[in-house]
Amino acid sequence: MTEETIPRASLDAMIGRPMGPAEGSTAPDPVNLPMIRHWVAAFDDHNPVYLDEQAAAESRHGSVVAPPAMLQTWVMATPSLEGIRDRGGAPRASDDSPLKIFDDAGFGGSLAVNSELTFERYLRLGETLTSSSEVESISEQKQTRLGLGYFITWVSTYRVGDEVVGRQRFRMLKFRPEAAP
Amino acid sequence: MTTVGDRLPSAAYVMDTTRIVAGALASRDFMPVHHDKAYAIDHGSPDVFMNIMSTNGYCSRYLTDWAGPDAMLRSLSIRLGVPVYPGTTLRFEGEITAVDQQPGEQVVEVSFTASTEHGDHATGSASLSILADS
Repeated sequence: MTEETIPRASLDAMIGRPMGPAEGSTAPDPVNLPMIRHWVAAFDDHNPVYLDEQAAAESRHGSVVAPPAMLQTWVMATPSLEGIRDRGGAPRASDDSPLKIFDDAGFGGSLAVNSELTFERYLRLGETLTSSSEVESISEQKQTRLGLGYFITWVSTYRVGDEVVGRQRFRMLKFRPEAAP
Repeated sequence: MTTVGDRLPSAAYVMDTTRIVAGALASRDFMPVHHDKAYAIDHGSPDVFMNIMSTNGYCSRYLTDWAGPDAMLRSLSIRLGVPVYPGTTLRFEGEITAVDQQPGEQVVEVSFTASTEHGDHATGSASLSILADS
Protein backbone atom coordinates (compact mmCIF):
# COMPACT_ATOMS: atom_id res chain seq x y z
CA MET A 1 0.00 0.00 0.00
CA THR A 2 1.45 3.32 -1.02
CA GLU A 3 0.44 6.71 0.27
CA GLU A 4 -1.94 8.53 -2.06
CA THR A 5 -0.26 11.29 -4.05
CA ILE A 6 -3.58 12.97 -4.83
CA PRO A 7 -5.80 13.58 -1.77
CA ARG A 8 -8.64 11.06 -1.68
CA ALA A 9 -11.15 13.85 -1.12
CA SER A 10 -10.16 15.41 -4.47
CA LEU A 11 -10.66 12.08 -6.20
CA ASP A 12 -13.96 11.36 -4.47
CA ALA A 13 -15.18 14.79 -5.54
CA MET A 14 -14.81 13.68 -9.18
CA ILE A 15 -17.26 10.78 -8.88
CA GLY A 16 -20.38 11.58 -10.86
CA ARG A 17 -18.75 14.51 -12.62
CA PRO A 18 -19.04 14.67 -16.40
CA MET A 19 -16.21 13.40 -18.59
CA GLY A 20 -16.16 15.73 -21.55
CA PRO A 21 -18.63 18.57 -22.05
CA ALA A 22 -21.10 19.04 -19.17
CA GLU A 23 -23.96 19.34 -21.65
CA GLY A 24 -22.95 16.02 -23.27
CA SER A 25 -22.31 15.47 -26.97
CA THR A 26 -24.67 15.43 -29.91
CA ALA A 27 -23.81 13.59 -33.11
CA PRO A 28 -22.95 16.14 -35.82
CA ASP A 29 -24.95 14.04 -38.31
CA PRO A 30 -27.78 11.55 -38.01
CA VAL A 31 -27.00 7.89 -38.60
CA ASN A 32 -26.30 7.75 -42.32
CA LEU A 33 -25.24 5.42 -45.12
CA PRO A 34 -22.03 7.23 -46.18
CA MET A 35 -20.45 6.82 -42.73
CA ILE A 36 -21.64 3.21 -42.52
CA ARG A 37 -20.13 2.55 -45.96
CA HIS A 38 -16.75 3.90 -44.81
CA TRP A 39 -16.94 1.66 -41.73
CA VAL A 40 -17.89 -1.45 -43.68
CA ALA A 41 -14.99 -0.86 -46.09
CA ALA A 42 -12.46 -0.14 -43.33
CA PHE A 43 -13.23 -3.36 -41.42
CA ASP A 44 -14.29 -5.51 -44.38
CA ASP A 45 -17.46 -6.20 -42.39
CA HIS A 46 -19.89 -7.34 -45.05
CA ASN A 47 -22.87 -8.13 -42.85
CA PRO A 48 -25.60 -7.24 -45.41
CA VAL A 49 -27.92 -5.59 -42.85
CA TYR A 50 -25.59 -2.57 -42.73
CA LEU A 51 -25.98 -1.51 -46.38
CA ASP A 52 -28.36 -3.78 -48.30
CA GLU A 53 -31.98 -2.60 -47.89
CA GLN A 54 -33.49 -5.80 -49.18
CA ALA A 55 -31.33 -8.10 -47.06
CA ALA A 56 -32.04 -5.92 -44.04
CA ALA A 57 -35.80 -6.00 -44.75
CA GLU A 58 -35.70 -9.80 -44.80
CA SER A 59 -33.75 -9.94 -41.51
CA ARG A 60 -34.99 -9.51 -37.93
CA HIS A 61 -33.94 -5.86 -38.20
CA GLY A 62 -36.53 -4.98 -40.85
CA SER A 63 -34.45 -2.13 -42.28
CA VAL A 64 -30.84 -1.04 -42.55
CA VAL A 65 -29.12 -0.74 -39.15
CA ALA A 66 -25.75 0.72 -38.19
CA PRO A 67 -22.91 -1.56 -37.05
CA PRO A 68 -23.26 -1.63 -33.25
CA ALA A 69 -19.58 -0.88 -32.63
CA MET A 70 -20.08 2.50 -34.38
CA LEU A 71 -21.85 3.79 -31.25
CA GLN A 72 -19.04 6.09 -30.11
CA THR A 73 -18.14 7.08 -33.67
CA TRP A 74 -21.44 8.91 -34.23
CA VAL A 75 -20.75 11.40 -31.44
CA MET A 76 -17.01 11.92 -32.05
CA ALA A 77 -16.25 15.63 -32.22
CA THR A 78 -15.41 16.94 -35.68
CA PRO A 79 -11.71 17.73 -35.30
CA SER A 80 -9.89 20.95 -35.91
CA LEU A 81 -6.76 19.62 -37.62
CA GLU A 82 -4.92 22.91 -37.06
CA GLY A 83 -2.81 22.32 -33.95
CA ILE A 84 -4.07 18.79 -33.32
CA ARG A 85 -0.51 17.49 -32.86
CA ASP A 86 0.18 20.08 -30.17
CA ARG A 87 -3.02 19.04 -28.39
CA GLY A 88 -1.86 15.41 -28.30
CA GLY A 89 -4.59 14.48 -30.74
CA ALA A 90 -7.54 16.02 -28.89
CA PRO A 91 -10.05 17.01 -31.58
CA ARG A 92 -10.73 20.43 -30.03
CA ALA A 93 -8.97 22.78 -27.65
CA SER A 94 -10.27 22.15 -24.15
CA ASP A 95 -8.67 22.40 -20.74
CA ASP A 96 -11.44 21.22 -18.45
CA SER A 97 -10.85 17.47 -18.71
CA PRO A 98 -11.27 15.75 -15.35
CA LEU A 99 -8.08 13.86 -16.18
CA LYS A 100 -6.09 17.10 -15.81
CA ILE A 101 -5.77 16.52 -12.05
CA PHE A 102 -3.69 13.41 -12.87
CA ASP A 103 -1.55 15.15 -15.50
CA ASP A 104 -0.88 18.00 -13.08
CA ALA A 105 0.25 15.53 -10.40
CA GLY A 106 2.74 13.89 -12.77
CA PHE A 107 0.53 10.99 -13.85
CA GLY A 108 0.83 11.97 -17.50
CA GLY A 109 0.84 8.47 -18.98
CA SER A 110 -2.43 7.05 -20.28
CA LEU A 111 -3.29 3.43 -21.02
CA ALA A 112 -6.74 2.17 -21.97
CA VAL A 113 -7.50 -0.97 -19.98
CA ASN A 114 -11.13 -2.04 -20.48
CA SER A 115 -14.08 -1.25 -22.71
CA GLU A 116 -17.51 -2.71 -21.94
CA LEU A 117 -20.21 -1.95 -24.50
CA THR A 118 -23.88 -2.85 -24.10
CA PHE A 119 -26.43 -2.40 -26.85
CA GLU A 120 -30.14 -2.06 -26.09
CA ARG A 121 -30.88 -1.97 -29.80
CA TYR A 122 -29.25 -1.16 -33.11
CA LEU A 123 -29.52 2.34 -34.62
CA ARG A 124 -31.47 3.13 -37.77
CA LEU A 125 -30.84 5.63 -40.54
CA GLY A 126 -31.88 9.17 -39.64
CA GLU A 127 -31.60 8.80 -35.87
CA THR A 128 -29.56 11.42 -34.03
CA LEU A 129 -27.48 10.10 -31.15
CA THR A 130 -26.54 12.02 -28.01
CA SER A 131 -24.18 10.93 -25.25
CA SER A 132 -23.23 11.93 -21.76
CA SER A 133 -20.39 10.51 -19.70
CA GLU A 134 -19.65 10.53 -16.01
CA VAL A 135 -16.89 9.32 -13.74
CA GLU A 136 -17.96 6.12 -11.98
CA SER A 137 -14.97 5.24 -9.82
CA ILE A 138 -11.31 5.97 -9.16
CA SER A 139 -9.08 3.30 -7.66
CA GLU A 140 -6.59 3.60 -4.85
CA GLN A 141 -3.14 4.56 -6.03
CA LYS A 142 -1.53 1.37 -7.32
CA GLN A 143 1.90 0.17 -8.31
CA THR A 144 1.64 -1.14 -11.88
CA ARG A 145 4.27 -2.50 -14.22
CA LEU A 146 4.31 0.92 -15.92
CA GLY A 147 4.63 2.90 -12.71
CA LEU A 148 2.45 4.31 -9.96
CA GLY A 149 -1.02 5.08 -11.15
CA TYR A 150 -4.75 5.32 -10.77
CA PHE A 151 -7.49 3.44 -12.61
CA ILE A 152 -10.32 5.76 -13.67
CA THR A 153 -13.64 4.31 -14.80
CA TRP A 154 -16.33 6.26 -16.56
CA VAL A 155 -19.65 5.38 -18.16
CA SER A 156 -21.05 6.91 -21.33
CA THR A 157 -24.78 6.66 -21.93
CA TYR A 158 -26.04 6.91 -25.48
CA ARG A 159 -29.57 8.07 -26.24
CA VAL A 160 -31.94 8.72 -29.11
CA GLY A 161 -34.27 11.32 -27.65
CA ASP A 162 -34.94 10.07 -24.11
CA GLU A 163 -34.42 6.41 -25.00
CA VAL A 164 -31.19 4.79 -23.83
CA VAL A 165 -29.84 2.75 -26.76
CA GLY A 166 -26.41 1.78 -25.43
CA ARG A 167 -23.73 2.27 -22.81
CA GLN A 168 -19.97 2.08 -22.64
CA ARG A 169 -17.93 1.62 -19.49
CA PHE A 170 -14.32 2.57 -20.06
CA ARG A 171 -11.35 2.14 -17.75
CA MET A 172 -8.06 3.94 -18.13
CA LEU A 173 -4.81 3.82 -16.19
CA LYS A 174 -3.21 7.21 -15.59
CA PHE A 175 0.36 6.53 -14.55
CA ARG A 176 3.63 8.24 -13.67
CA PRO A 177 6.13 6.78 -16.13
CA GLU A 178 9.09 5.22 -14.33
CA ALA A 179 12.56 6.24 -15.44
CA ALA A 180 14.20 3.58 -17.55
CA PRO A 181 16.56 1.43 -15.41
CA MET B 1 -27.48 -26.14 -32.75
CA THR B 2 -25.35 -23.99 -30.55
CA THR B 3 -23.71 -25.78 -27.62
CA VAL B 4 -21.52 -24.74 -24.74
CA GLY B 5 -17.91 -25.63 -25.52
CA ASP B 6 -18.31 -25.21 -29.28
CA ARG B 7 -15.51 -23.24 -30.83
CA LEU B 8 -16.11 -20.42 -33.28
CA PRO B 9 -14.23 -20.58 -36.57
CA SER B 10 -10.94 -18.77 -36.10
CA ALA B 11 -10.15 -15.72 -38.22
CA ALA B 12 -6.94 -13.91 -39.16
CA TYR B 13 -6.85 -10.30 -40.31
CA VAL B 14 -3.55 -9.12 -41.81
CA MET B 15 -2.83 -5.60 -40.60
CA ASP B 16 -0.98 -2.97 -42.56
CA THR B 17 -0.80 0.80 -42.23
CA THR B 18 -3.66 1.26 -44.68
CA ARG B 19 -6.05 -0.83 -42.58
CA ILE B 20 -5.05 0.85 -39.33
CA VAL B 21 -5.46 4.34 -40.83
CA ALA B 22 -8.73 3.40 -42.57
CA GLY B 23 -10.14 2.13 -39.27
CA ALA B 24 -9.10 5.23 -37.36
CA LEU B 25 -10.65 7.59 -39.90
CA ALA B 26 -13.82 5.54 -40.42
CA SER B 27 -14.35 5.78 -36.67
CA ARG B 28 -13.62 9.55 -36.78
CA ASP B 29 -10.53 9.23 -34.59
CA PHE B 30 -7.89 11.71 -35.79
CA MET B 31 -5.31 11.09 -33.03
CA PRO B 32 -1.97 11.32 -34.89
CA VAL B 33 -0.63 8.13 -33.23
CA HIS B 34 -3.13 6.20 -35.36
CA HIS B 35 -2.04 7.61 -38.74
CA ASP B 36 1.30 9.45 -38.51
CA LYS B 37 4.30 7.16 -38.06
CA ALA B 38 6.80 9.97 -37.38
CA TYR B 39 4.52 11.37 -34.67
CA ALA B 40 4.02 7.90 -33.18
CA ILE B 41 7.79 7.30 -33.02
CA ASP B 42 8.27 10.72 -31.40
CA HIS B 43 5.81 9.59 -28.73
CA GLY B 44 7.57 6.33 -27.89
CA SER B 45 5.74 3.91 -30.16
CA PRO B 46 7.58 1.88 -32.85
CA ASP B 47 4.86 2.66 -35.42
CA VAL B 48 1.24 3.76 -35.74
CA PHE B 49 -1.13 1.49 -33.84
CA MET B 50 -4.80 0.55 -33.98
CA ASN B 51 -7.37 2.64 -32.10
CA ILE B 52 -9.86 1.09 -29.68
CA MET B 53 -12.93 1.75 -31.81
CA SER B 54 -11.27 -0.32 -34.54
CA THR B 55 -10.61 -3.11 -32.05
CA ASN B 56 -14.33 -3.12 -31.23
CA GLY B 57 -15.09 -3.00 -34.95
CA TYR B 58 -13.02 -6.11 -35.65
CA CYS B 59 -14.46 -7.93 -32.61
CA SER B 60 -17.98 -7.15 -33.81
CA ARG B 61 -17.14 -8.32 -37.32
CA TYR B 62 -15.60 -11.56 -36.03
CA LEU B 63 -18.67 -12.34 -33.94
CA THR B 64 -21.34 -11.55 -36.53
CA ASP B 65 -19.40 -13.16 -39.40
CA TRP B 66 -20.01 -16.31 -37.36
CA ALA B 67 -23.49 -15.57 -35.98
CA GLY B 68 -24.98 -14.19 -39.20
CA PRO B 69 -27.14 -11.23 -40.21
CA ASP B 70 -30.03 -12.27 -37.94
CA ALA B 71 -27.88 -12.04 -34.83
CA MET B 72 -27.80 -9.02 -32.56
CA LEU B 73 -24.79 -8.12 -30.50
CA ARG B 74 -26.02 -7.36 -26.96
CA SER B 75 -22.70 -6.70 -25.24
CA LEU B 76 -19.01 -6.60 -26.03
CA SER B 77 -16.45 -6.40 -23.21
CA ILE B 78 -12.72 -6.35 -23.83
CA ARG B 79 -9.57 -6.09 -21.79
CA LEU B 80 -6.83 -4.44 -23.81
CA GLY B 81 -3.31 -5.82 -24.07
CA VAL B 82 -0.51 -5.24 -26.58
CA PRO B 83 -1.09 -2.72 -29.39
CA VAL B 84 -1.71 -3.77 -33.01
CA TYR B 85 1.02 -2.50 -35.34
CA PRO B 86 1.30 -2.69 -39.13
CA GLY B 87 2.93 -5.91 -40.30
CA THR B 88 1.15 -8.11 -37.78
CA THR B 89 -1.79 -10.49 -38.09
CA LEU B 90 -4.72 -10.18 -35.70
CA ARG B 91 -5.96 -13.71 -34.96
CA PHE B 92 -9.33 -14.37 -33.35
CA GLU B 93 -10.33 -17.47 -31.43
CA GLY B 94 -13.64 -17.89 -29.64
CA GLU B 95 -15.66 -20.40 -27.66
CA ILE B 96 -19.28 -20.57 -26.50
CA THR B 97 -19.45 -20.38 -22.73
CA ALA B 98 -23.22 -20.25 -22.14
CA VAL B 99 -26.47 -20.66 -24.06
CA ASP B 100 -29.73 -19.36 -22.61
CA GLN B 101 -32.88 -20.52 -24.41
CA GLN B 102 -35.47 -17.73 -24.42
CA PRO B 103 -38.81 -17.62 -26.23
CA GLY B 104 -37.91 -17.08 -29.89
CA GLU B 105 -34.21 -16.58 -29.33
CA GLN B 106 -31.03 -17.97 -27.85
CA VAL B 107 -28.75 -15.69 -25.89
CA VAL B 108 -25.24 -16.97 -26.52
CA GLU B 109 -22.20 -15.96 -24.48
CA VAL B 110 -18.85 -16.12 -26.24
CA SER B 111 -15.38 -15.83 -24.78
CA PHE B 112 -12.73 -14.76 -27.27
CA THR B 113 -9.15 -13.59 -27.74
CA ALA B 114 -7.62 -11.42 -30.44
CA SER B 115 -3.85 -11.78 -30.53
CA THR B 116 -0.89 -10.82 -32.68
CA GLU B 117 2.68 -12.07 -32.89
CA HIS B 118 3.36 -9.82 -29.86
CA GLY B 119 0.72 -11.32 -27.55
CA ASP B 120 -2.92 -10.82 -26.66
CA HIS B 121 -4.32 -7.57 -28.02
CA ALA B 122 -7.83 -8.01 -26.61
CA THR B 123 -9.41 -10.70 -24.48
CA GLY B 124 -13.07 -10.53 -23.80
CA SER B 125 -16.59 -11.76 -23.86
CA ALA B 126 -19.71 -10.98 -25.80
CA SER B 127 -23.39 -11.74 -25.66
CA LEU B 128 -25.40 -12.27 -28.84
CA SER B 129 -29.08 -12.86 -29.47
CA ILE B 130 -29.63 -15.46 -32.17
CA LEU B 131 -33.15 -16.15 -33.45
CA ALA B 132 -34.38 -19.62 -32.49
CA ASP B 133 -35.34 -20.64 -36.02
CA SER B 134 -32.27 -19.23 -37.78
